[in-house]
Amino acid sequence: MASKERTKLSAKDIRDLGLWSIFLQISFSFERMQAAGFTAGMLPAFRKMVNDDPDELRRFMKYNMEFVNTEPHAGTFLQGLVLSMEESGTDQPVIEGMRNGLFGPLAGIGDSIFWFTVLPIVAGICCSLSQQGSILGPILFILLYLGVGFLRIPFGQLGYTMGTRAMEGMQEVTKYLTRGAAILGATVLGALIPSYVAINFSDACVFGLGEGTTVQSVFDALLPNILPLAVTFGIYWLIKEKHVNAVYIILAIICFGLAMSFIGWM
Amino acid sequence: MQITLLQGLGLGLVGFICKLDQQTEAFYWFRPIVVSFLAGLVLGDPALGVACGAVSELAYLGMTFVGGTVPPDPLLAGMMTVVIAYTTGQNAETALGLSYPFALLAQMLGIMINTAMVFVAHKLDDCAERADADAFMRWTFAPWFVVSALWFVLVFLCSYALQMPIQNFVATFPEWVSHGFEVAGNILPAVGLAMLMLTTLKLDTAPYLMIGFVMATFLVLPNVLPVAIVGVALAFINYLHEKKMDGIAATAASSTYLEGGDEDGI
Repeated sequence: MASKERTKLSAKDIRDLGLWSIFLQISFSFERMQAAGFTAGMLPAFRKMVNDDPDELRRFMKYNMEFVNTEPHAGTFLQGLVLSMEESGTDQPVIEGMRNGLFGPLAGIGDSIFWFTVLPIVAGICCSLSQQGSILGPILFILLYLGVGFLRIPFGQLGYTMGTRAMEGMQEVTKYLTRGAAILGATVLGALIPSYVAINFSDACVFGLGEGTTVQSVFDALLPNILPLAVTFGIYWLIKEKHVNAVYIILAIICFGLAMSFIGWM
Repeated sequence: MQITLLQGLGLGLVGFICKLDQQTEAFYWFRPIVVSFLAGLVLGDPALGVACGAVSELAYLGMTFVGGTVPPDPLLAGMMTVVIAYTTGQNAETALGLSYPFALLAQMLGIMINTAMVFVAHKLDDCAERADADAFMRWTFAPWFVVSALWFVLVFLCSYALQMPIQNFVATFPEWVSHGFEVAGNILPAVGLAMLMLTTLKLDTAPYLMIGFVMATFLVLPNVLPVAIVGVALAFINYLHEKKMDGIAATAASSTYLEGGDEDGI
């Protein structure tokens, strides 16, 4: 390896990394996914670190332009990790191995936390405010996500301070965290089905079941919300096992809604 | 009601700002709850924006960008739900169903852009080869603005330019059609949730989904936060259990190893 002359990064540089990492997903392409934003976010700090040494810059930009795709907060963490390993003069193959080996598992944790847990909970609370006609719904949403957005800063700091030490404990922690996040995600998901999906036959739909008995009352006696549960699992099965494109399913649902409305069953 | 030219430009600006955010996924201004609210402000009817935001946010909850996929565009869905409700006087659920083609249009555009970005990625490879960090930054950031400008035009055309055709189209609807869209609008979240299940649901997390489902079906909950707390508790119980099992497994493994060593010694 060429020159190992490194300028030490300041606390401010690492804080700024958190802000630069906001741009992780710009210039997203199907070929490299987040590589462009991932590299660009680390460049200001790295330029300072190597005093704009062209050989170092070339090497750094080239290996970071390889495919990377992770959850944004996890991405900031990974950027901090890469920079700290660069700073300590770790060999590039080691850094590359860490970068390419970690983005997937980290994405799993990040997605479970931010997409599948934080968003449904924040959206659930804010939408219930909105449904009561309160302007507080969207405003609270904006404020909370301002906080979630700037959480990148501590994530970057964490990655940078953990540095190479992260490698050792990571495997074990990742295993437990992924599992915990999956359990939390599944529990919340189960609650979202009856909260957000509504399928009810109209009172006019009786099928000659006898006085006062509607089709809907039969389903409700069996288990309330059984139709939303069944339909959600049915769609899951269609996508997973039959590889049906979600777009066709949505169009089918619209046709179904129109048909049911036309014959007056719903 | 009519959308004036000035309002049309204002909606375009909302589209531009929210698209800047959507590409970074930083502050979640691309979520329907925020887009609808801002569009409602531009149209001078914040209450309508809040109502449409709640309905469209719930429907697009599962439409995530996880793993580099492009879902039907939540930004345009939130925008067009308000625009259609405002111009045609339909309720939010019906407007949501009618906004779907626009979300699909934006989705197709998004896929085309992510494909076209491959050329930018190769341009960035050249910059890396030349060790030109400034050019690298320029080529990463330029598409961010270009794509957002595209959404300005898209929103302006869909709202201002298309309002008369949309109005005329909807005016021909009999009652059952708008009700049919409402029925479909209530089922659509099932698709989003099924897609969440693809990533979170495995056989060993399915029991947790059932716990969440039963809680939300039989308890009166203001939102999903209590379920999330139960989820965290369950995840923690599982963590303690797993750690203990791993500990037992580890001791068992090491003791057999020691015994083996003794035998060799004897």
